[in-house]
Amino acid sequence: MTALLTIYVLMWPVLVLGVLAAIARGFAKDAKEARDEGRMLI
Amino acid sequence: MPPAPSGEIVQLGIIGVLLLLLLFYGATMWMSVSISRKKENADDYMTAGNKIGFGVSAASMTATWIWASSMYASVTAGYTYGVSGPIHYGLWGALMILFIYPFGKRIRKVAPRAHTLAEVMYARHGRSSQLMLAGSNVLGSVISLTSNFIAGGAIIAMLSPLDFGAGILIIAAGVLMYTLWSGFRASVLTDFAQVMAMLGAAGIIIPAVFFLAGGPSMFAEGVAAGNVTPQQESFFSSDAFMNQGAPYIAAVLAYAIGNQTIAQRLFAVREDLIKPTFITATIGYGATVIGIGMLGVMALYLGVQPMGGDVNNLMPQMVGTYLPVALVALAFIMIIGSLSSTADSDLSALSSIVMTDIYGQSVGRKNVNPKLMLLIGRITMITATGLALYFATAKFNILDLLVFVGAMWGCLVFPVIASFYWKKVTNLAFSLAVVAALAIFLPVRFQLIPITGAWALLVEMLAIIGVGVVLGIMSFGFFGKRVAVIVGVVSILAVLPFGFGFLRDYETLSGSLVAYSVSFLVCYLLSFRSKQDFDFSTINKVTGDFDDETLTADEDIVLADAAAAGRSTSS
Repeated sequence: MTALLTIYVLMWPVLVLGVLAAIARGFAKDAKEARDEGRMLI
Repeated sequence: MPPAPSGEIVQLGIIGVLLLLLLFYGATMWMSVSISRKKENADDYMTAGNKIGFGVSAASMTATWIWASSMYASVTAGYTYGVSGPIHYGLWGALMILFIYPFGKRIRKVAPRAHTLAEVMYARHGRSSQLMLAGSNVLGSVISLTSNFIAGGAIIAMLSPLDFGAGILIIAAGVLMYTLWSGFRASVLTDFAQVMAMLGAAGIIIPAVFFLAGGPSMFAEGVAAGNVTPQQESFFSSDAFMNQGAPYIAAVLAYAIGNQTIAQRLFAVREDLIKPTFITATIGYGATVIGIGMLGVMALYLGVQPMGGDVNNLMPQMVGTYLPVALVALAFIMIIGSLSSTADSDLSALSSIVMTDIYGQSVGRKNVNPKLMLLIGRITMITATGLALYFATAKFNILDLLVFVGAMWGCLVFPVIASFYWKKVTNLAFSLAVVAALAIFLPVRFQLIPITGAWALLVEMLAIIGVGVVLGIMSFGFFGKRVAVIVGVVSILAVLPFGFGFLRDYETLSGSLVAYSVSFLVCYLLSFRSKQDFDFSTINKVTGDFDDETLTADEDIVLADAAAAGRSTSS
């Protein structure tokens, strides 16, 4: 039970960091496209 | 096991807190100024041109949905209901975003350049439906703004010698300053920085508290010390489901439909990116909020008593008790980021509603003065900030207000969604359905009439139908009408045997379910024999840009293609 609860507590920050990486990669892509097209990001 | 907490928590001090706030709001202000234009466009101030990319939109949707109250509430759920508590808060909150996605696609299809959902209701039905939705959106956003200011004031008061009043003033001034500048554009761009700070902090703080508070051994020791009950140890706690999860499932669609901050992002993101944006935000919100809720679970196992008996103090208390000052500063930025990103979204949402639904539709789209429209939007933000500050200092019970608004949005869900798919729904059916649902909901939720005797049977019957309506609507979005009807009927039949004599004890859940069922019954009964045959293409003609200088999406793509062609020619 201890191992299960430990995994249960620690799996969320791993997921959070995965989403953070996906968003950061998407943002970098958006910024590059905007720069290439000579327009503002927003 | 670390030494037992002494009861004292790490303080950041006045200078530390002010430096962090200066850094945070200085950076967001710099971002806002960097995208400012000499001549701001009224439509872009509300929707950023309807074509923002995946990275920006996913960051913005995630940041907006994670608000300070959701972190506090998840920690409270973990502490109160144990291991399943954060799931029954965060999972359903995350699914709110996922379940609204198919409806979002439909809404964008019929109204590709709208600014607010209420504006679309004006095109679909008329003024009364528009004002009902706009009114509920305004009330919800002001309450959300108030709640975020209160959260900011409370965290500043807890971690520094500054008092609550000074805290809410600093937060209000910081958020207003950068949002006023570029409106929704500033809101979505700063959301990116805020979400990076929030998710980054959550990814570090959760494991840090876990290991510094004792690591895996805290579970066995907590059970041995009698800190947890069998229900709190269970992943399938019925207490957690009935008191926390079930009312939340009922509210899943209500918040996403009634909250203009989500609708605004729906209209802003590039249409082909709606799906990945919503899915990313679902996972991002769920993981962050459930993860932060683990602080409450740890507090429970560790036998921590909330300071002053207030469970809202648990999160800063856990952070301040177990973490070194640098990580406390990181947690402080996480909370400030979460409340600021939602507060700036609320300000943008409020300004859009007043600009579009009050000013724009009252003078007519062709007669709008874009400069005056922008001024109205900015005045709205200042007024809303003043109102929220007043409510925050008056110490209204925010939870009660949120429950009220959530249920009010529940009255709107079926009529709003049906209006996007069913040609027969009339303005009268929409308006009467909402008013009737509200009239039945209020006495149930606040027990104005004791839920006993025949009244209790009626309430339970309506609540049972409400279960079918909620699950039917959720199924409809993904699988269509046939599956929705089957799911709805089967759900009602499944709940029927035990719903009577049982649901009356859960007035929060019953109130929400009654709101759904009454609005469904009235809307359906007044519409199914209607001869109206609404042409949905009308919506696209009635909604659209206010500012003549806005490029249409097609024109913008042509310009971008021309630029790309120019580059390939020159290379």
